[in-house]
Amino acid sequence: MKLVKQLAALLAVVMVFALFNFSMYRVFTGRLGNNFSGASQLKMIELEKYLPFQPESDLARVDASVKLSGDLPVLDGASALVPVYASVIENLYPQGSVTYEGGTFSDDNYYGENFASDSVMQYYNTVRGYKAIVDGDTDLFFSGGPSEEQKKYAQEQGVELVYVPIGREAFVFFVNQANPVDGLTADQIRDIYAGDCTNWKDVGGPNRAINPVTRIAGSGSQTRMEKFMGDRPFGLKSPFAITGGSLGYSFRFYLEGMVQDNSVKLLALNGVYPSMENIQSGAYPLVSEFYAIYRADNDNENIQILLDWLLSPEGQEMIAATGYIPLAKE
Amino acid sequence: MKDRTFYRVLAAVVALCTALTLAHVGYGAWAYQNSSIVQFIAKEPW
Repeated sequence: MKLVKQLAALLAVVMVFALFNFSMYRVFTGRLGNNFSGASQLKMIELEKYLPFQPESDLARVDASVKLSGDLPVLDGASALVPVYASVIENLYPQGSVTYEGGTFSDDNYYGENFASDSVMQYYNTVRGYKAIVDGDTDLFFSGGPSEEQKKYAQEQGVELVYVPIGREAFVFFVNQANPVDGLTADQIRDIYAGDCTNWKDVGGPNRAINPVTRIAGSGSQTRMEKFMGDRPFGLKSPFAITGGSLGYSFRFYLEGMVQDNSVKLLALNGVYPSMENIQSGAYPLVSEFYAIYRADNDNENIQILLDWLLSPEGQEMIAATGYIPLAKE
Repeated sequence: MKDRTFYRVLAAVVALCTALTLAHVGYGAWAYQNSSIVQFIAKEPW
């Protein structure tokens, strides 16, 4: 009888640990699994869908009246803007200007790319890309505005960057499709991320904690969110929030055009859904410009030719064809 | 099983389970840094 009690006690201990680990897997670890292969770590997009000079690539093709030759600018950008700068290469650059280490594209590496050092297309993404443009490793960087740290790095290096607006994009908030909340106000979102509102029931949802998810420092969406929050404290949350219903943010095209995951839904902001119509009309309140960025001391003449084309009707037609929003007409 | 043996076995089981749980937590914390925000929210249990 004593042995049975002892074995029951051991079993109970094991069960307690097993229950904790199973619960943690359900609410947390299991949701990270698909991102965790060697090839997909930090891989934000399926880059092979946006490779120039591949007939099957999902790029915008227009009848461009300009073709670049000579000293070709090296292009780089945020993951969400890969379709834009890859389309620029597709339309303006000569065949063969995108090259790969080993001769062919492979995503079997840390960042999902293997562009050769002489390739005009690179993929450093936002966090590494600002450093690359300041250091002179690339010529044009396609991104949203810089973070304070990125500005500071340029200043420290004595580099002046020129920011040319080339299109517009909406900053959006999203939740799981099963979350019954369909919209929030800007003030509610600021309260949530400041830690002043911690339960969905306070914003018209069920009685469940809110898990305000943030992005890595220096990423385009994190920088945009910092601007949205203004002076409010940001990113503080209870460790138990991880069990709650999440709220996230990103740029519309990244979610709807590139990731296309039907298990999440965009939220209306101040009662306005971020549809193309509402963004173009100006009804949706969070629309910001994205830029082509270059060093002021870069004397490559093709940079200005490329920028002039991007701002021309042809270039803006290409921006629209990638799924982004062209600059407002003067 | 003698009490002394039982407590040794119990201590060993607790130590093993704690080590495995800490490894799980460590893995989760590390993987979270590299995960996609979209997939994290898409797979949320409701």
